[in-house]
Amino acid sequence: MEAQKVDMFIMTNGKYFESHQVVQIRERLLLMDDSKWGLIQTLQFKDPTTSLIVSLLGGSLGIDRFMIGDTGLGVGKLLTCGGMGIWAIIDWFMIMGATREKNMAKIQQVLY
Amino acid sequence: MSINRIKLYAILLIACLAGYIWLFYGMKKLHSEGNTFEVCLIKHTTNIPCPSCGSTRSVLSLIDGDPLKALYINPFGIIVASIMLITPVWILFDIITKKKTLFNFYRQTEIVLKKPKVSILLIVVVLINWIWNITKEL
Repeated sequence: MEAQKVDMFIMTNGKYFESHQVVQIRERLLLMDDSKWGLIQTLQFKDPTTSLIVSLLGGSLGIDRFMIGDTGLGVGKLLTCGGMGIWAIIDWFMIMGATREKNMAKIQQVLY
Repeated sequence: MSINRIKLYAILLIACLAGYIWLFYGMKKLHSEGNTFEVCLIKHTTNIPCPSCGSTRSVLSLIDGDPLKALYINPFGIIVASIMLITPVWILFDIITKKKTLFNFYRQTEIVLKKPKVSILLIVVVLINWIWNITKEL
């Protein structure tokens, strides 16, 4: 794929991934066939900042985990009142990374 | 799109262990002072009980052999108690037989829970239980 297209993708979507993953994604995209560009463009990613806000507000009900697709963990958080409050606080710091991991898993289905 | 097996089992085991320690201290305090600890963030900040407030008391009355009282305090307590009883045995079974039945079950459950019909139904159940919690003034 053309470097210009890839860099445009990285510029718009870079914030959805961990910094070390961005390099890897860029390399994979450069090697990829041009026909997949449309598919890559239409992918929807979850914003880590949004999930942080949700985690701050509804963390002890597990809503943040439900939102990023970790339904099982969400139920666990809901039933234990956010892991007695401890897990909820830990997730304030973990949820952004977890969201980026989810985004990475999503793009990996197209990349590989 | 899901967490790996080792991580899931570790989380479940740590949660169960923490739960048992929590229950042990809760039981000691309940029998000596007549109440349990309250750590719920929502209850402390807003004075409104959260959907799962009272599950400790519910599990404790289940241990004392009073399932009706457990059901009255918070029906979620019974779910929590059954999860705490079943998971460690299931994980042990998986480790001994080198299968991943629990992991597969977890992923299947996640897929079922993500269906809109199921999730809406469960959200309504949780909300009703929450309203009931507030009216009971747990």
